[in-house]
Amino acid sequence: MMSFDPNAFLIISTASLIAISCGLLGVFMMLRKMSMTGDAISHAVLPGIVIGFFISGSQRGLEVIIGAGILGILATLMIDWFRKKAKVQLDASIGITFTLLFAIGIILINVLAYKVDLDQECVLYGEIAYLPIDLWITGSGMNLGPRITWLAVLNLILVLGFIVSLFKELSLTSFDEGFSLVIGLPAGAINLALMSMVSYTTVSSFEAVGAILVVALLVVPPATAFLWTKKLIPLIKITAGLGVIISIIGYYFAYWLDSSIAGMMVSVSGVIFLASAILKSKKPNFKFGTKIADKPFSI
Amino acid sequence: MITQVANPILEIHDLTVSYDQSPVLWNVDLSLPPGQLIGVLGPNGAGKSTLIKSVMGLVPPTSGHILIFGKELNSVRSKISYVPQRESVDWNFPASVLDVVLMGTYGKLGLFKRPGKKEKELSMECLEKVGMQAFFNRQISELSGGQQQRVFIARALAQEADLYLMDEPFAGVDMATETAIFQLLKEMTQEGKTIVVVHHDIHSAMNYFDWLIMLNLHLVASGPKNEVATEELLRKTYGGKLNLLSKVSELIRQTDFNPLKS
Repeated sequence: MMSFDPNAFLIISTASLIAISCGLLGVFMMLRKMSMTGDAISHAVLPGIVIGFFISGSQRGLEVIIGAGILGILATLMIDWFRKKAKVQLDASIGITFTLLFAIGIILINVLAYKVDLDQECVLYGEIAYLPIDLWITGSGMNLGPRITWLAVLNLILVLGFIVSLFKELSLTSFDEGFSLVIGLPAGAINLALMSMVSYTTVSSFEAVGAILVVALLVVPPATAFLWTKKLIPLIKITAGLGVIISIIGYYFAYWLDSSIAGMMVSVSGVIFLASAILKSKKPNFKFGTKIADKPFSI
Repeated sequence: MITQVANPILEIHDLTVSYDQSPVLWNVDLSLPPGQLIGVLGPNGAGKSTLIKSVMGLVPPTSGHILIFGKELNSVRSKISYVPQRESVDWNFPASVLDVVLMGTYGKLGLFKRPGKKEKELSMECLEKVGMQAFFNRQISELSGGQQQRVFIARALAQEADLYLMDEPFAGVDMATETAIFQLLKEMTQEGKTIVVVHHDIHSAMNYFDWLIMLNLHLVASGPKNEVATEELLRKTYGGKLNLLSKVSELIRQTDFNPLKS
């Protein structure tokens, strides 16, 4: 029997918070068929992070998040522009946009290397295991606990607030963008707001899980949940539940194999997805025969 | 044969729409009376959907302007209702039938507000009108094509508008349902609503509509059914489409012919 380990608890709960935030946004990205735009954003924010870091001099600065947010929106606009105005296919325009912005980010890191204590490894892979020793200590010397956990809590609160207050708009624009434009909902603004939230979440999470694995948290739990339900609210709940499950299993597997926690979390989510896909494809159709007949009606 | 009316509910002036460089609507100029069931007829690619979409502001016009209730679109959005083509959305979306009909009430609700009991009751009434009340809790992915179409019509009814624009609402709907819905639309026009329907079937069009718009890239006719439902105008709309196109392109080649000016 394993005794209670406060560090394990902290890491698992932080990982869960991050996975839930990503999953919640990921549900809407998936429903908009924009999961890969999430991928693009998570890479494209790199130059924003570097510039923000350069201006503020620390990776804790608000400038980093603002820089990343601007780049995330820029990436979204670029993808949209390539697709609509230059008539490039969506997948190609995603590929062009994020590699270009990511490459600029790498060059910026190299050029500013002597001024900026930031390396690609940190941005790309993150390391959640260092979380318990990275503490938030106030000016008066008070220890408030791990900084990244606080960031994750704040992130989740903002994501939840965003989704709860704009739930109606997010679901309508995801289902039928044309109709939302017709009734006068600002579909474009809502889309950009969602992309900004994705950018912010990516930046808020990159120290813990890195820019590459954050994509998996955006895409895999919603896709897995969609195999199990066709209703929106249960879809969101299962996605959040999966976030917690992969954090717990991922942590202990990583502990056992002495490997990367984030890497193990994503591997676990991949395995769960695979298992779900196999189970669902073999599931017999019990509904057959109970379908209500589609009768014509009269007034 | 284009009849203009006084005090129109919808007026379209010199509307030309093109995708990339090729025009899909040429110089359409018409006005529609209120309280009528209006059919838009024309062959495939005649610009019927484009006409509806440009009224709804979904397609930018190359030239021309549109007035609804004598005003610009943005100030009268809450009084217009729209039924898009069924294929325009992904029906795998995780929503119930009631969820989709509720979307019709979102325009009046505005940002941030959630639909409440009143909106749900209204939506159930609208589902009843199209005979889908038994399906309210069904996931939309489990509906047949005709049922999906009826859900879209119910959503438009939930908008409680004065002008309804419907883009092929009867595609894939069986005859009995089509008749019932036409009856419903007829009743709505008696209450003073105006309904514009893009329609495929000429025979049922002759039975149901009060007013007909005939399109074939340019406007062939717009007027009361009794006046425009002539063999000559129908032939002009439907027949000799290839012939017409080749004639036009020949004209353009021969002279510096500008169809937008004529």
